[in-house]
Amino acid sequence: MTMRETDARIEARGLTKHYGGIAAVDDVSFTVEPGSVTGFLGPNGAGKTTTLRMILGLVRPDRGRATIGGTAYADLAAPLEIVGAALDSTGFHPGRAGLDHLRIYAAAAALPSSRATTVLDAVGLGDVGSRKVGGYSLGMRQRLALATALLGDPSVLVLDEPANGLDPEGILWLRRFLKEYADTGRSVLVSSHVLTEMQQLVDRAVILHRGRLIRQATLVDLAAEHGDLETAFFNLTTDQETRP
Amino acid sequence: MRPLITSEIRKLFSTKLWLWLLLASMALTALYAALLIGFSDDPDTLTAPLDSAAGQQTLFAVASGGANTLVAVLAAIGITGEFRHRTATSTFLATPRRWKVVAAKLAVYTATGAAYAVVCLLVVASIAGPWLNLKGIDLTLLGNGLPATYAGVVADVTIFAVLGVGLGALVRNQVGAVVGLLVYRFVAEPIVTAVPALTDWTAYLPGSASAALTQVSLSTQDYLAPWAGGLVLAGYGLVLAVLGARVSMSRDIT
Repeated sequence: MTMRETDARIEARGLTKHYGGIAAVDDVSFTVEPGSVTGFLGPNGAGKTTTLRMILGLVRPDRGRATIGGTAYADLAAPLEIVGAALDSTGFHPGRAGLDHLRIYAAAAALPSSRATTVLDAVGLGDVGSRKVGGYSLGMRQRLALATALLGDPSVLVLDEPANGLDPEGILWLRRFLKEYADTGRSVLVSSHVLTEMQQLVDRAVILHRGRLIRQATLVDLAAEHGDLETAFFNLTTDQETRP
Repeated sequence: MRPLITSEIRKLFSTKLWLWLLLASMALTALYAALLIGFSDDPDTLTAPLDSAAGQQTLFAVASGGANTLVAVLAAIGITGEFRHRTATSTFLATPRRWKVVAAKLAVYTATGAAYAVVCLLVVASIAGPWLNLKGIDLTLLGNGLPATYAGVVADVTIFAVLGVGLGALVRNQVGAVVGLLVYRFVAEPIVTAVPALTDWTAYLPGSASAALTQVSLSTQDYLAPWAGGLVLAGYGLVLAVLGARVSMSRDIT
């Protein structure tokens, strides 16, 4: 697992992005350590999605740089085998079968088509692979997005609000799945605005508010200081607002 | 590039659009061919008699018009669909060098265009063969300069795929690209081409350059030599594709 551990570190340094003169993300730096589940937390509009998309080379930062194991995403030779990302539960052609969607990206990453079946089974969609995605529920789409992320058996998983649309059973399943994933020495960066969901899932928290990083800490430290994650978040964001 | 081309082939054939547009191209080609043969004895017809080489070339060239615009539409939908259905995120995560995606789409859609052209030529042959025979006209498929017409049709439809990919890459908006393409083909260029004072220039427009490939035009517009028409048409497609890959495709995927 030593190889995994060196691959798996995400480093964001001074990431900044403006939209129409407003800083959506302002000088954000943090590290995601291998073998941990890091929660990327903040209310809607805090800049979480923009930051994740900058890390993955989809959005060009105005300033700053992000690397994965020391390399920018766009320079990774086999990106899907290093980083698996599920950013968008709507990113599917409605007329295409779920299995075909996966086979398309398996091919693009030069992976065998059998990976498509394997990951579809892994997320519990094995029975509906031949059905068109247009007929999937939001929860099924979330699972298909996760399956896409798993195609390359990556060292790092980056998930943007993966619990949206999952029922309580699905959230439990996701939590267990991510724990097992991280236990193999791989890292997970998972964003959410639902703090109670994250409490039992993450080891570390990176907290974003109005485009700025307000804290990165282990959950143990946050709990010692504030009691629980929700209180920590409330205290930290209130501090931020009352500062001059 | 091989894995990417496989990926693009799977994208194309995992939805039904290619089939519907192929059937539409075949139907349109059959309609054009039937009208041309049906009215060939009409004294007002613009077409040369069907027992002449020019007449038979005109007949087979209808396969161009049947397929080229729809192939461009297929290609444009193929690339703009990445943005409409937000699959661009997965696509560019798998292939961060975005120009490679455009290159793979060019390869797949040009091959598809060539296949459409061949199918539509077969549609013309299967209608013209028996029908001309009934009229007592001998049709030799490899005679009367017809092979050059086939080559022109295949080149034309193939290059229209480049135009479609290029336009889609540049515009990114699906409705905009498809409507723009249709309005240009069926409204804008025919109007401009009809202005006599402009004929020196309009020979270089895509539609006229396309007609030059088969040397068949039902309008009074002059056209370039086939090779020149092909180069002009391919030039438009490649400029659009390069601009699209460099400017439009590199924009943020949000």
